[in-house]
Amino acid sequence: METIINQTSSFKDRTAQVVINNDDIYRIIYETGADDYEMLMNSGLYEELVQKGYLISHQETENFTDCYKTIKPQKVFITYPYEWCFSQLKDAALLTLKIQQTAMKYNMSLKDANAFNVQFFKGNPIFIDTTSFERYKDNTVWYAYNQFCCQFAAPLALMSKVDIGLSSLFLKDIDGINLKLASKLLPRRTFFDLSLFKHIHLHSFFQNQYSDTKQKININFSKLQMEFLISDLQKTILNIKMQKQKSEWGEYYGNTNYSPDSFAEKIRILENYKQKIPCSRIADFGANSGRFSRIFKDKAEIILACDIDNEAVEKNYMQVKDVNETNILPLLVDICNPSPAIGWANCERFSLFERIKNIDTILALALIHHLTIGKNLPFEKIAQTFSFLTEYLIIEFVEKNDSQVQKLLKNREDIFFDYTQQNFEDSFKIFFEIIDRQPITDTKRILYLMRKK
Amino acid sequence: MYINQKIKYSLILIIPIFLMPEKAFAYLDPGTGSMIAQVMIAAFGSIGYGAVLFRKKIKEFTKRFINKLKK
Repeated sequence: METIINQTSSFKDRTAQVVINNDDIYRIIYETGADDYEMLMNSGLYEELVQKGYLISHQETENFTDCYKTIKPQKVFITYPYEWCFSQLKDAALLTLKIQQTAMKYNMSLKDANAFNVQFFKGNPIFIDTTSFERYKDNTVWYAYNQFCCQFAAPLALMSKVDIGLSSLFLKDIDGINLKLASKLLPRRTFFDLSLFKHIHLHSFFQNQYSDTKQKININFSKLQMEFLISDLQKTILNIKMQKQKSEWGEYYGNTNYSPDSFAEKIRILENYKQKIPCSRIADFGANSGRFSRIFKDKAEIILACDIDNEAVEKNYMQVKDVNETNILPLLVDICNPSPAIGWANCERFSLFERIKNIDTILALALIHHLTIGKNLPFEKIAQTFSFLTEYLIIEFVEKNDSQVQKLLKNREDIFFDYTQQNFEDSFKIFFEIIDRQPITDTKRILYLMRKK
Repeated sequence: MYINQKIKYSLILIIPIFLMPEKAFAYLDPGTGSMIAQVMIAAFGSIGYGAVLFRKKIKEFTKRFINKLKK
């Protein structure tokens, strides 16, 4: 029997909706969206966008509910802007503008510029909302302009000019960072940056000035003006550069206490574990710039390389782009505070754990001491959480006399009497069976391969 | 010199703000300000943008014309 479940995040569009049918994702198009969909498909726009890798491809399938058409897009792993590094958000912004530019050639336009409509697929940003296109109406402004500024220009400007961590403001408001707040937070010198002045400060001023107007405004906005606006936004986004941050983790591999031999041994052990388990869908927590994630890339379907450090994720993303790695997805994730479910009824955007529930392997290398000593989390809690998420666990235990652990304890009282290898094993054995354990020569570290009980 | 040019542009954009009609009453409409903002930005910017496109078209036309004459 078929089960049709409405995708809880898809209810704002009156012309189309995402539904889940037997674990497959479909987009159903209603009669109200028929004209725009047919124009997208028949004008050549769909073909050009798919061929350039800008838009997700789909297949039309049989209708299983009352609608005009049903399409089945390619499946992508869903991530959100607050889980992206600076360059990921910047690339998503540029993609949105490129799509708008291309659409205008075909007399179409994007009716929204939602950052959540962009996902990362095979290493590149891709637009996933096939029903975001509408026929371009002469002399109309770009209605998505405000959304573009709130969801791309403002967060990027704040990340560049104030603090790289400010993309997390997305969590406060699902519609992005409102321009009044962005204008207030940005330093005064940005008033002399013509692009930011126009699209954020001036834009915010006009929003404020006309926030309670009752007169209907008739505006003539030519296609040339629209083209200028898009190209000007493109320049604005290109000019926002990531500032070099002083990061604890950006140079991590240069600062570890591994000798070249022990580093090579760790890689050899991980290579060996790779052969023993399926490792098709991997979440690497504390991945840094992905050195150890990459050991698994020839076998895995997807590797979510999660790290809390912006610069490390940035480095990882740049490498993914440079080498064209299709199955590594760098993500900005704090495992101690993973993305929650947000939006209407907490159902518009899913929590990270909801989205990664079908992974089969977790890598947690040199992470345990940060969770236990840095965040006071008991071993048992960590083991239990990992057991909810995965079948296999590759975890590295770092002994208390390791220099990195000692660094964490340097200026605090050592209350961690239970931080021992024995306690670690006993706690994890409640949820996992230890398949293998390998001490790494010349280090105070032990690698474990575990399987959920 | 560069900063002066930026200030000049900023002033060009600021002055029309004071020429706009005073705000009226009633319901909240955050879109109106965005509509006006993009009209203002594009109105000034597209003059230069249009000129660049026009120059490009003239260049292409001249090139085509010269090529035709050569043939």
